[in-house]
Amino acid sequence: MRAVILSLLLASPAAADTAAVVQDHIRPGQAAFAMAANALAASDSCDVTTLTPAFNAAYDAWMGVSHLHLGPSEEEGRALAILFWPDPKGLGAKAQRALLTGDPALISTEALVQQSVAARGLAGLERLLFPAEPLPADPCPLIKATAADLAQMAVALALEWGPYGDLLLSAGQPGNPRFLSADEATQALFTQLATGLDFIADRQIGRPLGTFDKPRPDLALGHASGRPLRNVTLSLQALRDLAFRLSPESPKTLAAFDHTLALARDLNDPAFDGLADPQGWLKVEILQQSVRFTRETAIAELGPALGVTLGFNSADGD
Amino acid sequence: MQRRTFLASFAAACAPSISWSDVGRPALLAAGKRGEDFFLHGLDALGQSLFQIALPGRGHAAAAHPTRAEAVAFARRPGTFALVIDCGTGGVRHRLTPPKGQQFNGHGAFSADGSLLMTSEVVAEGSEGRIGLWDTQDYRRVTDWPSHGIGPHDIRLLPDGRLAVANGGIQTDPVDRTKLNLESMRPNLALLSADGSLVDQIELPDLAQNSIRHLALTGTSIAFAMQWEGDPDDAVPLLGLWTPGSAPRLCEASPAEAFTMQGYAGSLAATDTRIVITSPKGGAAMVFASDGTPVATHRRADLCGAASLGDGFVLTDGLGALWQADDTGLQALGTGQTLWDNHLVALG
Repeated sequence: MRAVILSLLLASPAAADTAAVVQDHIRPGQAAFAMAANALAASDSCDVTTLTPAFNAAYDAWMGVSHLHLGPSEEEGRALAILFWPDPKGLGAKAQRALLTGDPALISTEALVQQSVAARGLAGLERLLFPAEPLPADPCPLIKATAADLAQMAVALALEWGPYGDLLLSAGQPGNPRFLSADEATQALFTQLATGLDFIADRQIGRPLGTFDKPRPDLALGHASGRPLRNVTLSLQALRDLAFRLSPESPKTLAAFDHTLALARDLNDPAFDGLADPQGWLKVEILQQSVRFTRETAIAELGPALGVTLGFNSADGD
Repeated sequence: MQRRTFLASFAAACAPSISWSDVGRPALLAAGKRGEDFFLHGLDALGQSLFQIALPGRGHAAAAHPTRAEAVAFARRPGTFALVIDCGTGGVRHRLTPPKGQQFNGHGAFSADGSLLMTSEVVAEGSEGRIGLWDTQDYRRVTDWPSHGIGPHDIRLLPDGRLAVANGGIQTDPVDRTKLNLESMRPNLALLSADGSLVDQIELPDLAQNSIRHLALTGTSIAFAMQWEGDPDDAVPLLGLWTPGSAPRLCEASPAEAFTMQGYAGSLAATDTRIVITSPKGGAAMVFASDGTPVATHRRADLCGAASLGDGFVLTDGLGALWQADDTGLQALGTGQTLWDNHLVALG
């Protein structure tokens, strides 16, 4: 009898933190993105003013889940195709230009699936809706195909998070090939938190920040559509929610998030255009430091509370 | 008694040594961490530990003597220790120390007959590369050769006795591993003759920030795995193939997987038909055909150790699991409390 009870204990279901993340953070976030992307694809218009609210709603929803680099998001390069950024070589613009100047019959959702991931998704739509220079042809067919492709990916993602979420929830149970213990699921989610904060600090803020002598606001995520600060804020809010679901009793981490979000709000510089001004540059750098401090705080506070660390090898490097 | 037999039995009497079959014929060696302690393990083909030996600090890689049940465990860079371990008793037979001002740099290799051990080393100040030579009779330092590059890491002996050296190109701080020359680094892959002279060498002029760090032999070429020190948003190949005498071929990932490895290959292994590279940072293993065509990508957090075993691969991760890997996926061999370190070494 004792052995049976012990074996039941060993085969305990996923830790409560994992369940909360899957059920209250990941799945609702993916569903919201799928709905927003569908609403965008449902529009008949190619008019920027008409499309912008739906474009922003889909982009906003993606910011709520874009930090999840695991499972369905990683399959078939999906996360890349949904938002290919940064694109230092301008691969997306090149591929789109080829499509726009080529045979219009080749522009279809099916054809886009075969295209470079750089040409697709939200970054592709942004270039069509807010072009830096006049487009060589009517973008309407490509806008429609890109939005439909985005919606397809979003729906597939939301559906696949069903079974993949179950794998997280059944971590450590016999027959689960992905997560061999409950701790592995917890660690996977904890890693998303740390890498998500890295991405905000190093890329979303780091790329436009550039150097004091050479800031590059034009390199910010969502610069053409005026979304850089909004993207940072939404990413921070999403990661704060992830931290809260993982470990609700994390006062230092949540306070660090709140402080960082307050700094972002006070910046009041939607497109990071203030980077050209020394004062403005320093404010963005302070925001970056606050994101990094939040990361360190989360690792120090949540790691021991959850009983996990960042990867033994990934953090080493050799 | 014939002279050869006499010498053999004399040697056995002087240095009683046991063979790998005496210690259960391990197929693999791997360093790992359990709790706060570090160990070297001998594993069978199914990943079961046959023996474990305590190490004084974090290990990196190991080299196995071709016949004697003897392994050299190398410390993580900058190497403060290399221990010659009796895998039967667990005892340390020799503690190797590089000459003053030099450091071990992670890897080593035995000659085919087991008479020589070669170690990758750097001059602490400046990271100029050296290859240390040790006589395995008593592990006396014989000499050292220039590695013909900065920061050599992995070294691999070819069947014909020539030595391939991955000169990673990175100059590091002798104490804290800070990288000092990322803007001017020039890694190379060097081929040394059996007497240490430079036979051939390649560089990657267009990808000078791609540090060549680990090596595997495919039978027809030298496979090399790289770590990208340039803009992380540039997608670069992390696997290369070199047949000495010709230009290297660089193997791109499939476009959808171009960023999967996050610019970092931590380890690689090759069979007759496949090559695998691992990325703990990306949480993935990527399988290529031996001509460099990408075949499959498998995801698992913190994967790093890789060794070929028969037609397939065994991989280890920092969460404590061992995996069998082929084109179709990963299959768990087992999991435990030992977190596996960077490298898995196949014996024989």
